[in-house]
Amino acid sequence: MARRDNDIWWRMAWRNLWRNRRRTAITASALSFGFVAAVLMIALMDGMLEQLVSNGTRVITGQVQIHADDYRPERSMHDTMGGREGLDLAALVGAAGSVEGVTGVAPRAYGGGLISSGDETAGAVLMGIDPRREEGVSRFGTSFVVGGMPGPGEIAIGNAMAGTIGTAPGEEVVVVAPAADGSMGNELFTVSGIFRLGMGGFDDAYVLVELGSLQDLMAMDRSRIHEVAISVDRADQADGVAARVEEAVAGLADSLVVEPWSVFHEQLYFMTSMMGAANAIVAMIIFGMAIFGVANTMLLATFERRREFAVARSLGTSARSIVRIVVCEGLFLGLVSLGAGALLAAPVVVYFHEFPLDLSSFIGTYSFMGSAMQPLMTVEYSWDGPLVSAVALIGTGVASALYPAWRAIRVPPADALASR
Amino acid sequence: MRTEHLWKIYPQDPRPVEAVRGVDLTVWRGEFVAMAGPSGSGKTTMLNLVGGLTRPTRGKVWIEGEEISALSDRRLADLRMHRIGFVFQSYNLLPVLSALENAEFTLLLQGVPAAERRGRVRELFREIGLEGLEDRRPPKLSGGQQQRVAVARAVLGDPALVLADEPTANLDSHTAEALLDVMERLNRTKGTTFVFSTHDPRVMERARRLIRLVDGQIESDHAESG
Repeated sequence: MARRDNDIWWRMAWRNLWRNRRRTAITASALSFGFVAAVLMIALMDGMLEQLVSNGTRVITGQVQIHADDYRPERSMHDTMGGREGLDLAALVGAAGSVEGVTGVAPRAYGGGLISSGDETAGAVLMGIDPRREEGVSRFGTSFVVGGMPGPGEIAIGNAMAGTIGTAPGEEVVVVAPAADGSMGNELFTVSGIFRLGMGGFDDAYVLVELGSLQDLMAMDRSRIHEVAISVDRADQADGVAARVEEAVAGLADSLVVEPWSVFHEQLYFMTSMMGAANAIVAMIIFGMAIFGVANTMLLATFERRREFAVARSLGTSARSIVRIVVCEGLFLGLVSLGAGALLAAPVVVYFHEFPLDLSSFIGTYSFMGSAMQPLMTVEYSWDGPLVSAVALIGTGVASALYPAWRAIRVPPADALASR
Repeated sequence: MRTEHLWKIYPQDPRPVEAVRGVDLTVWRGEFVAMAGPSGSGKTTMLNLVGGLTRPTRGKVWIEGEEISALSDRRLADLRMHRIGFVFQSYNLLPVLSALENAEFTLLLQGVPAAERRGRVRELFREIGLEGLEDRRPPKLSGGQQQRVAVARAVLGDPALVLADEPTANLDSHTAEALLDVMERLNRTKGTTFVFSTHDPRVMERARRLIRLVDGQIESDHAESG
């Protein structure tokens, strides 16, 4: 048997769509606006997510970290990489830095201690850093309100803590900290600068000390560190970079673990996953509401054509072909709406990307899950939102046609032909 | 085509309507038959039953030896596609298709290749005076032209039987005569069986067999001699 010409059903569906141009235009407009709303909402959510992840990882932690496998979660000062022997720090930093996608590598050591100025004392997290390398990973370097990064024998303090103990750049403070050999280390440091990250947990608790100076204070060999923080090109590629870094540093010490931010920023990752799911729900709600309106319109359109369906069936058209015509109409309606929606959405997204909504008149900078959030509603370019919305839009067109299609094949031909 | 003790009863308040009541009828291949009778006599219901558009309450229908009353919807659609052609009073062309596309619709369903379809349609259009109107949509055709396209659609699939429900009812006398000429010629040249339901005296005059229905029953059945 010769091949059947299936394109007749497509042609009929397309022509049927334009029989009532005004109705089609109104229905397509509703779907197009739904598409624009979904794309914009998802883009705003993505913008917020990007800000959340970017601030959560670029301010201090980096997107990938290397530790000794038993360092987290207790963070004991004894659990340095390579054990008590330490490791070849230059080789480690060099190996990690050579991995594709890595943009910065910063070795760090941590300790806990007391910092005193005059009569005032406060507990502090002592963070030993290589100031030059830290510039490529964290934002400490650009967060100084006054002064700058610490050199040997110097210390930088968060603005909140500086206020608590009443010190300023150029003044001396005493730092007392338990050392790795069981003794108590104490040293006089000169304040090099006051930083302000805008995150309460850091500005009132962290102090930056030049790495070698902290190792000396804590009686640790210069080859001993607790952490290497790594920054990458794109936060969403951290998993792949972490795997490559793990390969690159594998031979340098036993029991090194390399983790992307999704592991060590578990809560942040959970939050971003939740927001991803929220995007899908937003699209579902918008298009779920549209389904009923579009289905109603299509039901009316198929009811008006029940006589035509009866004629087609009386000529031998199968129920399947009738369903195909109606569903194709839904598909075409979705595609037309998608075309119009894309033309509308593109300039809106570009505008809000270039000119973020500034909400600073209503709210100030705030800290959320360890991330300093700016009061800006930014829109992030991404294919995910448009793709999810496009699939939802086409799905809405097709799903809206299913019930009308079912009704169309339920028309008894003789009854429909008898009606005028 | 044969019916045996055919009944169609529509459930309706306060009393069911007996549209067809125990009709026994045989129509032979190549006949040109008119079923006449007043409104409500059961003419259209008979055509619907014979065409498989509605199922009998009781009784049986055979088309070319196949009993169709118990066939599935899918088999009935197949039967209509291959063996039965329909012509309706109000033309019932599909408005989104051109005259040519409407006429070739049944051939398309049958899977006839495009080139052959188009050739057959154009040839028939020449015969029945529709040449040059192939690309017009139904609203751009006169009533007579639309009905000729409907006849073309009905006969192009080479059906054993064409059922025509008051095909001249909406046509002026000149156009009705021309249409009857077309159908009579197709009946003679192709041997297609035609069964009409009609009020139209012109159709009754042309028919070679006239069946009168009253209240769902055959009142008389006269075949022209010779």
